[in-house]
Amino acid sequence: MSTTDGFGATTGASASVKFPAWAQHTLVFVIFITIWEMAVQFNWVSALILPSPFAVVAAWWDLAIVRGIIWPHFFTTLTEVLVGFAIGATFGVGIAILSAINMTFRRLVSPYMVALQVTPRIAIAPIIVAWLGFGMEPKMAIAAIICFFPMFINALTGLMQVDHENLEMFESMRASKWQIFRHLQLPGAMPVIMAGFKTGISLALIGAIVGEFVSASEGIGVLIQRFSFQLLLPQAFASLIMLTAMGLFLYGVATFADRHIVFWRHSDLVNKISRRMRAKNAGLAGIKPAE
Amino acid sequence: MHAVQDITTSQQNATSTAETIISAEDLGMIFSAGSVVALEEVGFNISKGDFISLIGPSGCGKSTLLRLVAGLLKPTGGSLSVKGDPVTGPRPDIGMMFQKPTLLPWKSVMENVLLPKTLAGQVTKQHKEKAVELLHLVGLEGFEFSFPGQLSGGMQQRVALARLLNTGAEILLLDEPFGALDEFTRERLNVELLRIQREVKATILFVTHNIQEAVFLADKVFVMTPRPGRLAQIVEVGLPRPRDIEMTKDPDFNQRVFEIRDILGGTI
Ligand SMILES: Nc1ncnc2c1ncn2[C@@H]1O[C@H](COP(=O)(O)OP(=O)(O)O)[C@@H](O)[C@H]1O
Ligand SMILES: [Mg+2]
Repeated sequence: MSTTDGFGATTGASASVKFPAWAQHTLVFVIFITIWEMAVQFNWVSALILPSPFAVVAAWWDLAIVRGIIWPHFFTTLTEVLVGFAIGATFGVGIAILSAINMTFRRLVSPYMVALQVTPRIAIAPIIVAWLGFGMEPKMAIAAIICFFPMFINALTGLMQVDHENLEMFESMRASKWQIFRHLQLPGAMPVIMAGFKTGISLALIGAIVGEFVSASEGIGVLIQRFSFQLLLPQAFASLIMLTAMGLFLYGVATFADRHIVFWRHSDLVNKISRRMRAKNAGLAGIKPAE
Repeated sequence: MHAVQDITTSQQNATSTAETIISAEDLGMIFSAGSVVALEEVGFNISKGDFISLIGPSGCGKSTLLRLVAGLLKPTGGSLSVKGDPVTGPRPDIGMMFQKPTLLPWKSVMENVLLPKTLAGQVTKQHKEKAVELLHLVGLEGFEFSFPGQLSGGMQQRVALARLLNTGAEILLLDEPFGALDEFTRERLNVELLRIQREVKATILFVTHNIQEAVFLADKVFVMTPRPGRLAQIVEVGLPRPRDIEMTKDPDFNQRVFEIRDILGGTI
């Protein structure tokens, strides 16, 4: 039904483990880096194929700090992702809203939605580049097309799952269609829409990189491709790490937005908002100020 | 028993003939989906201020009858009128409440209670003060800015009741409102519902499948038969008000409960 992130919360480890969570994570990370370093040092793998972690860090330092040449590429890719996602999300949610409101519209567009779903959307990339040229626009378009579908399907699912008795409650109060949408349908759909947001933003990043692979002069995807062709693998890995960082940042933003928009699913936020409302309305008849 | 009942019956007849507020005649409802005959030949008059319990086995059309009165469904036969006008759709003087609290989890208790006013247009300071009063009335003082997710099932139904009262409706339709609550909470809410009705003087149509609850609350109990749903009998409760939980020990009370069980027993 809905797409979710797949990263289950791993906090609150079992009581039998004595290390705190951060120590466990650090330990695993150190072991991972050590094995990687040993693999290169002892020539289990050729350093030409797998650069050592220290070579990667050195390359990153050079690209990002000493010469700073990675940043224009970083922000090009980030812009492509954000604009592409904004476009894809707007169309996805917009068409979902129209489909939820109007059955005829839903019936007429659904074959195209299915077609779009079953077509590997990445395959559209060369065509988009042919249409839009070599700038940022085709990457934005590809990012938009790739993240459109999860946004659409999640928003439609959320909007269609209105509780029947809630609907009757609104009808018995003679609410208009718009009021039902505004006060019941849309807020009720937000949890599922926001789950789509998290999937969509990661897909938009994939879309932008694919676009850059097809043809571009700037962007992290271009760097990775160029460094790989030149067999500058430490630099290629350093660029990859920038993409990981970008992905984490985008996911963090999506998670933050989800938490605050769907605040009623998070008891800590609900408690906070509840206390704030109570303090703000202390003047109202019969209501005492918060303690 | 008969002496008590006859006195109250004649009293009610004296007032009710003049002040019928809901009236149904030969009411029928057939759902085309699966051609289910949900209701057949249902006729009754309800007087203003009456507390009516509607009882019958599951699937006998109780909810359907309530939805017809609420104007959420159109009858396929017969006629139904409120205050002399045929019911054509939801009306401002009729409000409804369900077994589920149907609260909006993203709105505070206060905002949920204010929903009828929000839908009607603007929410004024007077509306807010009224909402606070209503929350007091249903025993939720201090929970104005809690959220539904922070409340127990019983408290959520209290919010739903306050919201229902805030519609200003004088006819309240309650569809098994306490059916999902534990026995203890249900008993307390029943007592409070009677207190609230005394205060707001509403006409109440209360669906339940608990015979004790039906008798405890009502002036009259409408007993329904299953498939097709018909009104088997109208039982006059005729027990004095105000009532409290002690009344359930009264022999007259139990007499009424057995009477209804017999009627239901013959139909199941
Ligand atoms: N919208 C509907 N479409 C088709 N059948 C329905 C619908 N609503 C109720 N029914 C049927 O009508 C009968 C009465 O239902 P209902 O009024 O909900 O019973 P109760 O509330 O007494 O349990 C049931 O057989 C039910 O399946
Ligand atoms: Mg029912």
